[in-house]
Amino acid sequence: MNYIIETDHLTKRYGATAVVDQVNFHVPKGKVYGLLGRNGAGKTTAMKMMLQLVFPTDGSILLFGKDCRDNAAAIYKNIGSIIETPGFYGNLTGEENLEIMARLRGQFCKNAVPNALEIVGLNQEKRKIFSNYSLGMKQRLGIAAAIMHKPKLLILDEPINGLDPIGICEIRTFLSKLSRDNGTTIFISSHVLSEIEQIADIIGVMHQGRLIEEVDMAELRNRSRTYTEFDLSDGQMAAIIIKSSYPGTDYTIQNNTLKVYGPSPVIGEMNRNFALNGLLVTRINPREENLEEYFSKLIGGGGIA
Amino acid sequence: MLNLICCELIKLKRSKMIPISIIGVLSTPLLLLLEAVQTHFDKPGLAFTLSDIYKSSVLYSMLLTNMMIYVAITAFLFSREYSENTLKTIIPIPISRSRLLIGKFCALLLWILALNFVTWAGIFIVCGLYHVVFTLEKYSFPAAIVWLPTYLLGGILMFLTISPFAFAAEKTKGFVAPVIGSAVIVMGSAALANHDWGVFYPWTAIFFLVQGKINSSGYSTALSVIIILLVSAAGFILTFYHLKTEDLK
Repeated sequence: MNYIIETDHLTKRYGATAVVDQVNFHVPKGKVYGLLGRNGAGKTTAMKMMLQLVFPTDGSILLFGKDCRDNAAAIYKNIGSIIETPGFYGNLTGEENLEIMARLRGQFCKNAVPNALEIVGLNQEKRKIFSNYSLGMKQRLGIAAAIMHKPKLLILDEPINGLDPIGICEIRTFLSKLSRDNGTTIFISSHVLSEIEQIADIIGVMHQGRLIEEVDMAELRNRSRTYTEFDLSDGQMAAIIIKSSYPGTDYTIQNNTLKVYGPSPVIGEMNRNFALNGLLVTRINPREENLEEYFSKLIGGGGIA
Repeated sequence: MLNLICCELIKLKRSKMIPISIIGVLSTPLLLLLEAVQTHFDKPGLAFTLSDIYKSSVLYSMLLTNMMIYVAITAFLFSREYSENTLKTIIPIPISRSRLLIGKFCALLLWILALNFVTWAGIFIVCGLYHVVFTLEKYSFPAAIVWLPTYLLGGILMFLTISPFAFAAEKTKGFVAPVIGSAVIVMGSAALANHDWGVFYPWTAIFFLVQGKINSSGYSTALSVIIILLVSAAGFILTFYHLKTEDLK
């Protein structure tokens, strides 16, 4: 597969503590990769290593298939980023701050700054001094700086921090559009599970410096849906019965355990049908698991945030 | 590189450090004006020229006031990227950390030279005021312009000896350590200004060099220059090494 970000045993240690411990990320081209984890899980440090703000103790980072230490200038011109609360010069306006970024990048295009300000809704406030910005406006300016040069990869650490609900929705829609229409790859971290759930194609879960899960969102949704679990004497026979009697039913069979997904009004009838066909049903268990519960279990409880 | 220097200068737009530093360096001309007026009334028979005033000004500007101001602007330039959290925004652009520092040092040199020019011009203007009221001997623009290269040379030497304070600002990510350091070196400079051992103290050696006092101290000019260059090199190397190897947490 064509990975835009690929890390190999990426590790960062401070003294004896491994903040990021042998992490292998795989971010495919054009996908939105949501990175989840509690505070101190190592998400920000991992992102900082990708952006050369922090030097790895061990392991390697491939960006666009190339080692990020080689030819950094060419690689990083295609990347936009926000790490935590974006930092800008307090004595300058939003427009001036973006002009500095564009000049430093060497890609100074006349319309790039106003376009970026318009996208994030700051075009009316472009003459306001950055130190007078609200937290939400600062975050918007950070997003403007990250997208201004039309990057192929966005690395966004908590980009919706401080945004109001409408702002969150706007940014989410914009990021989805970027990924869908322009094929921009987005590597995004957040504490807000519902936001990641709505935008991500792939989820990575970090806990205590380790990447403990990297899973496709579609598979995750399967894992997280409401389902009824049957323990049966013959799974294959159960599958034949479902196919013939309940066509269109979403189900999986593993060994002799049948999972019927979604709320089903025919569970009782299904059970009777199994029994009439000579199957022994030893357990029927209705289950409902949301994403948050799933991750809470995965990282040992207490929630993501 | 020109772009980097340009960006460093844009970053100073609306910065309060600009007027503060200008007001700071104008204290030297004002002190000299007060001294001249006082001399006029205390010793009416004592004649002094514009050149005498410029000669006296070197002590204030190279050793005392300007040095403290230059350390403060160095601390401001090098610590603000930390205090305003901008490194994590500009490093991934990408900007090489070395180039970023070179841009800052170039901007610092320009700022120091500009402020030395302001001091020089300020002295010429306040002496003009004195000349209008009391008459100052040999007051003329050609007499003043002779001192401009001295001021610019002094600015370059001050820039060289200020590099350790850039490292201190970068290491401590703030103003406090460099400003305390500047107070210490200014006290040292004041103590050694009239002592031959001043040639060994880089910040006093600047004063000796621009005043042409080294030879009268019995030591060689090369010795002072080497000491200044060593201190400067140490400051530059530490500043570059620190940022090049630092994890930006």
